[in-house]
Amino acid sequence: MAAVGASAPASVLRGAPVRRARPLLGTFAEVAVAPCVRADAAVDAAFDAVERVHALMSFHDPQSDVSRLNRDAGAGAVAVDALTFDVLAAAAELNRRSNGSFNITVAPVLQSLGLLPGSPEKAQPLQDAVELLPDRRVRFRRPGVRIDLGGIAKGFAVDRAVGVLREHGVAAGLVNAGGDLYGFGPHAHAIDIRDPGDPALLLTRVEVRNQALASTAGRFDPLRGREVEDCAVIDPRSCEPVRVVLGASVRAPSCMIADALTKVVMIAREDAGPILDHYGASALIVARGGELCATADWQDAGSNLAH
Amino acid sequence: MTRWIRWSAPAALAISISAPAHAVQYLSIAQAQRQAFPGATFAEVQGGRVWKAESGGRLLGYFVFDRVIGKHLYIDYAVSVDPSGRVRRVDILEYRESYGGEVRSPSWLAQFVGKTAGSALAVGQDIRNISGATLSSEHIAQGVKRILLAYGGRGR
Repeated sequence: MAAVGASAPASVLRGAPVRRARPLLGTFAEVAVAPCVRADAAVDAAFDAVERVHALMSFHDPQSDVSRLNRDAGAGAVAVDALTFDVLAAAAELNRRSNGSFNITVAPVLQSLGLLPGSPEKAQPLQDAVELLPDRRVRFRRPGVRIDLGGIAKGFAVDRAVGVLREHGVAAGLVNAGGDLYGFGPHAHAIDIRDPGDPALLLTRVEVRNQALASTAGRFDPLRGREVEDCAVIDPRSCEPVRVVLGASVRAPSCMIADALTKVVMIAREDAGPILDHYGASALIVARGGELCATADWQDAGSNLAH
Repeated sequence: MTRWIRWSAPAALAISISAPAHAVQYLSIAQAQRQAFPGATFAEVQGGRVWKAESGGRLLGYFVFDRVIGKHLYIDYAVSVDPSGRVRRVDILEYRESYGGEVRSPSWLAQFVGKTAGSALAVGQDIRNISGATLSSEHIAQGVKRILLAYGGRGR
């Protein structure tokens, strides 16, 4: 078997990094750490953290908190895990600060477009439809509301995995869940960003250090070819997939925020300035015609020295 | 106040950089076996594909190697199944995608490529990190289902 890169040092994780990948969150989750004592145990624990988020927040798993909420929270309050509650609280704030561009209740629209399984009762997303109650209980303000955390949970899982690696004393590492990633350590990690118009090409390369980078674009499957399908980002006002923007990348202090803000930027474009400022984030947008648009701090935002 | 900088579409010049598109070998079969069933001995049940993991005469489970192949992608992966037919873990052993080898590069973007610390993008010198369109792992999920149908009941 060819072993390209098998024993080669990665650019930042000097020595022989431990690098593993598993199919999780509907994509490929990858954890890479600098060589250290018990690196394997740290990586396993990081994957466990990702699996935990997957188990709580999957739309597809009938046992997940998200599925329990979608079944029962329209009728009465449902208690959820503290992690789920934290993500719902962050989602509510993002919804408010994005003037509704970020909305976890677009699940019925995704269902009606065939992007999520099941048939919706009604496809109209609602603002402020999720009520967060004391004792980690959650209630929907109306029956028929369905949530999907697909726009934020991958980033949250990355943050959790990074937290676990740091708790294990890992000095440098990178967690990448299908392009939503966080790199930490004393040196910057080089990240290639795929061209959203043609995944056979790379658009650019950026560096991240103690920082997250997330990207959203149309989906493609290299098993089939290089054709890019419509993206799964739905504008809650039109209930249509975003088509003006081909793809967006966001750098932010946390991967959950970066993940969520890619959707806001896809929908609101330049109007996303204030929310990017609020979260300390920067963005790159690729329009359908190929034009590029970036916040002025996009290329300088790489080095976040604070942990 | 956020300032935005725009670049209108320049000709999409592709700058070739000598790199395999995107290939990573994560684990050899032997490494993956040791990680999935630490301390076990492995007996080949089906040549190069299925192993029985045992420890002190006790069945720990099965280790199944499989491969997804497409025109532009191949993925080697392994499914570890415990004696009750439950998936213990799924590991990607090798990922190889023939996409992502060139940079679409208006000059302002090109200046950043290769600017990074230790970013020699020669074969075997660097492992790529890629962000962009999310790749579906659905084909692996389907493969795991097939493997469970075939081997999930063996230990019972």
